[in-house]
Amino acid sequence: MDCQTEVNCGLHLVIQTSSLPEKNKVEFKLNKDTPSFPGRLLQHDLERNYSSRQGDHINLVSSSMPSFPILQRSSEEKILYSDRLTLERQKLTVCPIIDGEEHLRLLNFQHNFITRIQNISNLQRLIFLDLYDNQIEEISGLSTLRSLRVLLLGKNRIKKISNLENLKSLDVLDLHGNQITKIENVNHLCDLRVLNLARNLLSHVDNLNGLDSLTELNLRHNQITFVRDVDNLPCLQRLFLSFNNISSFDNVSCLADSTSLSDITFDGNPIAQESWYKHTILQNMMQLRQLDMKRITEEERRMASILAKKEEEKKRENQKQSLLKEKKRLTINNVARKWDLQQRVANIVTAQDRKDSDSPSQDPCQIDGSHISASPEETGSLDSGLTSALQGLSVIDSHLVELDGDTLSLYGSGALESLDRNWSAQTAGMVTTVSFTFIEFDEIVQVLPKLKIKFPNSLHLKFRETNLVMLQQFNALAQLRRIDQLTIDPQGNPVVNFTLWKYYVLFRLSHFSMQKINGTEVTQNDMIMAERLFGILAHVASSELPQYRLISILGDARKKQFRYLLETKGKKPGIVNEENNDSKRLIGENTNRATLNYTTRDFYNERLEEIKEKKKFCKMYIEDLVKEATEINMKNEALQKLWPQMFIELVRDAVIEIRNKNSYMKLCLQQITDQK
Amino acid sequence: MLSPERLALPDYEYLAQRHVLTYMEDAVCQLLENKEDISQYGIARFFTEYFNSVCQGTHILFREFSFIQATPHNRASFLRAFWRCFRTVGKNGDLLTMKEYHCLLQLLCPDFPLELTQKAARIVLMDDAMDCLMSFSDFLFAFQIQFYYSEFLDSVAAIYQDLLSGKNPNTVIVPTSSSGQHRQRQVLGEASMEGVEASLFYQCLENLCDRHKYSCPPPALVKEVLSNVQRLTFYGFLVALSKHHGINQALGALPDKGDLMHGPSLDEELERLLVPRSPGLIQLGHASPEASWPAFPDPSRLAPLEALHHIPENDGSTEETDD
Repeated sequence: MDCQTEVNCGLHLVIQTSSLPEKNKVEFKLNKDTPSFPGRLLQHDLERNYSSRQGDHINLVSSSMPSFPILQRSSEEKILYSDRLTLERQKLTVCPIIDGEEHLRLLNFQHNFITRIQNISNLQRLIFLDLYDNQIEEISGLSTLRSLRVLLLGKNRIKKISNLENLKSLDVLDLHGNQITKIENVNHLCDLRVLNLARNLLSHVDNLNGLDSLTELNLRHNQITFVRDVDNLPCLQRLFLSFNNISSFDNVSCLADSTSLSDITFDGNPIAQESWYKHTILQNMMQLRQLDMKRITEEERRMASILAKKEEEKKRENQKQSLLKEKKRLTINNVARKWDLQQRVANIVTAQDRKDSDSPSQDPCQIDGSHISASPEETGSLDSGLTSALQGLSVIDSHLVELDGDTLSLYGSGALESLDRNWSAQTAGMVTTVSFTFIEFDEIVQVLPKLKIKFPNSLHLKFRETNLVMLQQFNALAQLRRIDQLTIDPQGNPVVNFTLWKYYVLFRLSHFSMQKINGTEVTQNDMIMAERLFGILAHVASSELPQYRLISILGDARKKQFRYLLETKGKKPGIVNEENNDSKRLIGENTNRATLNYTTRDFYNERLEEIKEKKKFCKMYIEDLVKEATEINMKNEALQKLWPQMFIELVRDAVIEIRNKNSYMKLCLQQITDQK
Repeated sequence: MLSPERLALPDYEYLAQRHVLTYMEDAVCQLLENKEDISQYGIARFFTEYFNSVCQGTHILFREFSFIQATPHNRASFLRAFWRCFRTVGKNGDLLTMKEYHCLLQLLCPDFPLELTQKAARIVLMDDAMDCLMSFSDFLFAFQIQFYYSEFLDSVAAIYQDLLSGKNPNTVIVPTSSSGQHRQRQVLGEASMEGVEASLFYQCLENLCDRHKYSCPPPALVKEVLSNVQRLTFYGFLVALSKHHGINQALGALPDKGDLMHGPSLDEELERLLVPRSPGLIQLGHASPEASWPAFPDPSRLAPLEALHHIPENDGSTEETDD
């Protein structure tokens, strides 16, 4: 049955639907005042292109069998509007078969319910195809439309861009409002100027190469996080990225390389909320004229470049800082590793010294500093980790010196040499804390005089991994000018395990009146306890040593003080006047324990070696003396033994001589005359 | 002067026996070392001071270990010095580890060997758990025995080993080195078979004492120690030696255990506690009573003042400080 409705649009559509064998006739009448087909299409124009005045002249004949309606126009309309056909709002669910319209160039199917593009393969002259607002799920049926220039598929249900291979002349492709997730199969569209993919499900943009004519790309209202390939679009001028998910410029960095871009929008993206948004974009895209639909002024550009420079500098600073930190960390690791090896070697050596019978199963390590071959599996892992990390840095020192405001930190024994440097008086004066790590205490002792001179304000000393093992070693600290605080880290300093170490420190360094040891305040009770525990030691060390020992231990400098002290020994305490008392007290505090010295093991052994010569000489000398004495003694004893006998003989001789008085007198006279 | 014994020994040996030569050599050596200083106030005075200090027992302070070990008198002086200097540590009640005692020893003698301290600690701890804490008196007496009679003890150890191996083949002995005083593992559970028989042991020791006229504990006292028990282990024997009062007195360096913490320095301590912050100074005025260090051996000089002034152990609170 035919239906006819009067329409006030230009097209009368008469649809005849019937079962298959029967042909359907559709009559359309085109409105006379069809809006002219603009040569240059813009999206906005397209969207409001067709007025709804175009009528629907639908002749629907329901039939039981599914079939395509056949479109027919009256021949006069065919002649009048031979190149255009509008089937807007015709409640079409399928594309009708369009017969005998091979010249058709414009086809409009807007606002229908078409699900598939069909039955238009014969319209090989088609230039303009509008399927806006339908229910199309897949792009298909277009393979013959080689002349197609404008394809409008907005507001459909398309999930994938496909089957556009033959549409090489495509000028405008509108796929907004679909469900497209990926840009693909468009690389051959080298004449495409406008591509609209707004309101889809795109999460990233790439695969745009080949679109050599693309001028405008609309990607609004998607879920894009990063953009690539835009620099491969030589003609792209306008790029709309509003309302996506871009959060960093790095994700759209290709934009900076595009020379053609002049207009870009980012509003509605997370990146637009950032404080650095504007100037980063401006700085990176010098070619831009408009940002977010607003013209970019010179002022803005200038600000942008200034801010960007500042950012750059800050970044460089941070990089430098982190590089320095890394270097420092690696150096400290290196120093720690060396220290560890040193300690292990030292342990093995001392163990060997003690047990001369048992030797460790592996070869003992060589002690010379440069080549230490400990067991490979112990150092192997350390080595590999470190060397891989070291590759980035050129120089790794074996020690580290760090001056940070008021703290001077020294790592590794090589760092001690830095005390010789020319520190400016101001920087050196500011240093109040000196920290030693991974350095043998014995080596530190030797540079303490230097420390005293160069860093006169150092009041707090910290020792970590310095091999403090004996209480005696604290004696060495007495030579400094002053210490307020002392921190001995338990790590690497076995002396901290002793119960009495703090008291000993307080006792020996009592003249410093230390405030804190290892972070805890020194109380009056602590001081008293220290004195109680070790006071007698001080007494013994000072007053009970013979004077020559005192002198030799203390050296000339203190000799005078001590003499003064000893001279006053006899005086009664009450008579001593105040002034003397004070000065004596000062002197007394220092010299009382001054004999408690610490000489490092090496020095000590050296000294003993030196004395050996003297001892040998003394021994020989004494032996000679003894020999002499014993000889004399023997002679004496021999004389003692012989004397009685000798005496008796003497007496006997004398008596025999005098027995005959006359002859004796004659003999004597004779002797006298003989003398003449 | 003309006693036959004296004349029996050749001169040199006589001198050596009394260690006269050691002191002479050392005196001359000291003289050489410090000749610039000493020449200023006269050699005669130097010798006076030197031998005075030898008599007083202060000559070993801060000297090298080889000197301290050289004569029995030196050893005894050292023990005494150690006792005097660190008696307060003991009085304070602190229990210290072997390493810490060794540290204290090193304060007086910088190169004191660790082995001796270890051996002494072994005696106290009965060769068990070497990291244990020890009290001052225990350590001191054990140390005395170990240090003063060290050669003797080495020989005793060797004898003990021989007796063990000869007498008791069932006992498992870890092979030891030649120095003889290493740990011996014994089969536990055979408590009755532990150690050696006392009388046999004593016979061997007696022989040893006869051979070694030098630095042995008096044989009579050793016999006393051994007569109380049937069998004894090596360390049991040493512990008994260290705790025996008679041997201690015969040595003469230290007072009896009961008097260990008291002594003439007590009044020094008193004054030191009362005077703030300059203890050593005033003491010089008072040094004279103490300066005449009791001549050796004179333990009877220990006049405890505790009857007059009883000082509680930790009295930081009761003293008066006037600063």
